This record gives sequence, structure tokens and C-alpha cells, in this order.
Amino acid sequence: MDNSVKHLLQRLIRRIPASMLKSTLDKWGRLTAENRKSLDFTQSKWTIAQELVSICEESELTVKHITELEMIYITENPNQGMWHTFQLVDPEDDAHSVELMQFKEQFKSHLSELKRNVSVKIKKHTDEAVWIRVAWGDGLSRPNHLKATYVVHYLQTPYVFVNALSSKHKPLLLQALTLSTKHQQIKAANLSGQKLTALRDLLMRQYQQVFPTKYPSPLPEKLRIEKVQAEASANRHRMAGETFGDGTLPALQSAVFQLETKFKDPTNEAMTQRDEPFICSVKFSSSNLLESLRHCAASGIASTPVTPLLSSIPLKGRNYFVITDNVPTA
Amino acid sequence: MSLLKPFSKLPDLNTANILLVENEEQFQQNLANTLVEETAVTVNVRLAKSLPLPMENDESRPRIDLVVFIINLTSDKSFESAKASLKYLDPGYFLGKVCFMATNARHASVRTGCLDALRQLAVSLHCPLLFAEDQTPEGATSSARRLLTILKVASGLIPNTTALYLSNLTRCTMPPDIDQPSFD
Repeated sequence: MDNSVKHLLQRLIRRIPASMLKSTLDKWGRLTAENRKSLDFTQSKWTIAQELVSICEESELTVKHITELEMIYITENPNQGMWHTFQLVDPEDDAHSVELMQFKEQFKSHLSELKRNVSVKIKKHTDEAVWIRVAWGDGLSRPNHLKATYVVHYLQTPYVFVNALSSKHKPLLLQALTLSTKHQQIKAANLSGQKLTALRDLLMRQYQQVFPTKYPSPLPEKLRIEKVQAEASANRHRMAGETFGDGTLPALQSAVFQLETKFKDPTNEAMTQRDEPFICSVKFSSSNLLESLRHCAASGIASTPVTPLLSSIPLKGRNYFVITDNVPTA
Repeated sequence: MSLLKPFSKLPDLNTANILLVENEEQFQQNLANTLVEETAVTVNVRLAKSLPLPMENDESRPRIDLVVFIINLTSDKSFESAKASLKYLDPGYFLGKVCFMATNARHASVRTGCLDALRQLAVSLHCPLLFAEDQTPEGATSSARRLLTILKVASGLIPNTTALYLSNLTRCTMPPDIDQPSFD
């Protein structure tokens, strides 16, 4: 095993948290039972890494196996790094019938045509997601496994989530994806964040939706404690629920509004005289942004009905908006 | 303007009615639950976010004996909402039937001058200013007990005492050294 491979394995072990190390190695399944027993997980990670390197050398494991381990770890813990969403548009007539094997072959062949020396690994996860790991090299050097790009695509949906893609390789990856899924184009979907699960749930509407009903709630009995403005409060709660959903919402963590509008303040002559738009960026961040916004609407802090600036976040599944004077959301 | 009037309806026997006004609508629920547990008197609690109260419930609403404004000192909006609601009270309420309750007075994010502004307001209206701790059930219990004392007087259930008389004893006053420069 040469040094770069050892280095890759050590980096990977350092990256995996100590609490998950044993279970990830078991899932990997490349270590024999006695090897697994001999590894003492109470030691420091550095020691474990050293032992693992020697075990892997003995078993003659290669880069291919180590990248497998990395993929298992990332697939089980996708909520790290920064994921960007892309959307495939203009499907061709037979786009619906693209199934897994066909997609895999097409993607690999297209990508290798575009760039030599790329290492591609494709795996189907239990929840219908296709995970792709790409390590980029070029004509002269071997694939760089330290900075691999991860792509998640749900077949039959137009959504693709990408992590750690450099701008140099972006056009190549996007083109390979477009061709292998039989679409004409791919564009940025303006939704990004750290938690892949949240982005996915938001786009695929996998949270509890509330639909407006015409049936009023039954009249409450006469109680000693009565809310005087109960109707207004109930209306606010209902509208907030209809806009954002019910129950636990996907944990979106930020939303950015890029404003390119003219400065409007009648008391400030110097700024309003300028013709150019005033460029400013507003960022909302929270541990669960959608819950915070729903609470703002329900408690009256944000006026109801909810402004389209905020309701576009769950309705259109985006968290990056550019606002200009003529068009509310670009 | 739809003013809330203190003596426009008839009272019920052995009953006291209290209105809790709070912009955040959080602490008022805990207070209400504790207040209705009182056994000597029948306490009816009405919860509102701000005044004016809707005209639709006016018929079914009993005569309100005490109006309590719950103000969260860490939020400017809370204070502004309470000040705006004051306009919708008939002046008759300010003779001992209005009380201010401040929460989070010791919180680090209270803006300087907020507590003083609230004090000035209570002093100018001759109302008591109570401080409450809203995070624990004991805080709700002790605030409810103090409110009940004022409420029983305000609803006329304590002989030889009126709300106006009590308010002379309980009303907020500015401490004499408030104009002195502070030490921090």
C-alpha cells in the first residue's frame, strides 16, 4: 500500500467520529472477524488508525475498498459540508423510463468521455436515492480521492444534490448528468444548506401539509378561562400552518435574500438621488428556519396572510432569492 | 372608540373577573390556570393579546374588575403594544383597576431605560407595578397570589376597602435617587 493510500485511510479514520467508527467498519464488512475482534476501540484514534492501516495492508485492500468505506460513512451521515441543488429540465420522451442500470452505464461512459482519469462509484441507497462518488484526475495525474464530489439523485425526480464540486469540474458533471438522465438542460435550483435530509424533505414535500378546510371548529363550551381574541388567534395559526406545514418541519438552516432595489428613504436625499440599485443581502439563519417562520406568523410577529417573500421558501423549495424592483422573486 | 368601561355591567355574586393582556400570549396562560384554582371566590379569566377587544363578544363578556398588562422587558414590541392598548380603557379603570406586571426584569438583554420608561408610565397612571418570574411554576403561583389580593379588592369582595384606597398604598412611585447619576 503506498503512502497516498495510507494517508487517505488515516484521513478517513480521523474524519469518522469515534462513536460511529465500529458500526461503520462493521457495515463495510471488509475486515475478517478476528481482525474486528483484535481492534481495541478504547484506544486513541491515531492508534486505531495505525492498526487499521496494517490490517488493510495484510488483507491487501486497495483504494477501491477505502473509497467504499468513505461512501458508507457519508451515506449514513449526509448532513455535513454544503449541498447545492440542481434541477433537470426539459426531459426527452423516454426520460421516464431511465432505470438504474442504464443510468449507471450512461453516466460513467459520458463522464469518462469528457474527462479521462476519473474514478466513479455509484450505489443505490435503500430509499431510492442514487449516490455517486466522483474523484477527479486529469490526463496527467491520478484521481484525487481526498477531494471527492458526492452527488445524490432520486431517479424519476428532477432533483440532484451535489457536495464539494469545484467550478472547474462543474460543467463536466452537469453535462454527464443531463445526458445520462435524458434531459436537455440542468439549472441551479437556488436551494443549498448543510442538511441534505432537510433539503430533500422540503423539495419532495415529505412533511405534513395542511390543506384549507371549509368546516369550522365546534363551538367551545363556556369555560372560566376564555381567550377574548380567540378567533383572530386561530386564524393566524391556521394560515401559518397552511403556508408552512404541520408538525416537524425540515430543518432548513438559512435563507438569503439578495436585494437589488433602489434605496427608498424620503429623509435621505443623498442615497435616493442615486440611480443605481442599492445592493444588499439579508440572511435569515436558525436551527430550524421554517419552524421559526411558522411561529412568527402564528404569533402575529409576521403579518398574515404570509407575505410571498417568506411563503416562497416552502412553496418553491428555494432558499436563495434575488429581488429587483420590477419582479418580486427572480 | 370602543372603550372598555368598568361599571357598565352588573356584577355577579362572589365573582371576580380579571383580564390579562399580553402581546406574547405565553405567561398569561400559566397565570390563568393558577388563578382559577382559587376556591373562596369564583375567578373568571379573560386572555387578550391587546386592546381593543372585539365587539362581537361584548354581550357575553362579564364586567372586568382588574386589567393586568403583562410586559416582557426584553421586547420593545411588548411595551409598545401595552402602551397602545391603554388608549382603549375608560379612565375609570385607572382608579385602582389597572396593574402592570413586568417579566424578565433581570434578563441580560433588557434595553437600558426600558424599565425606567415602564416605571414612569406606571407612576403617571398611579398604577402598581409588579415583577414576575415566568419561567417556573412557582413564579406563576406567587404572581397569581399577589394578583388575587388586588383582584379581590377591585371586585369589591373585601369589606371596608375599595380599589382606589388600595391603589394609594400599592401604586408605583419613582425612587428618590432615580435622577442621580448611576455608578456603572
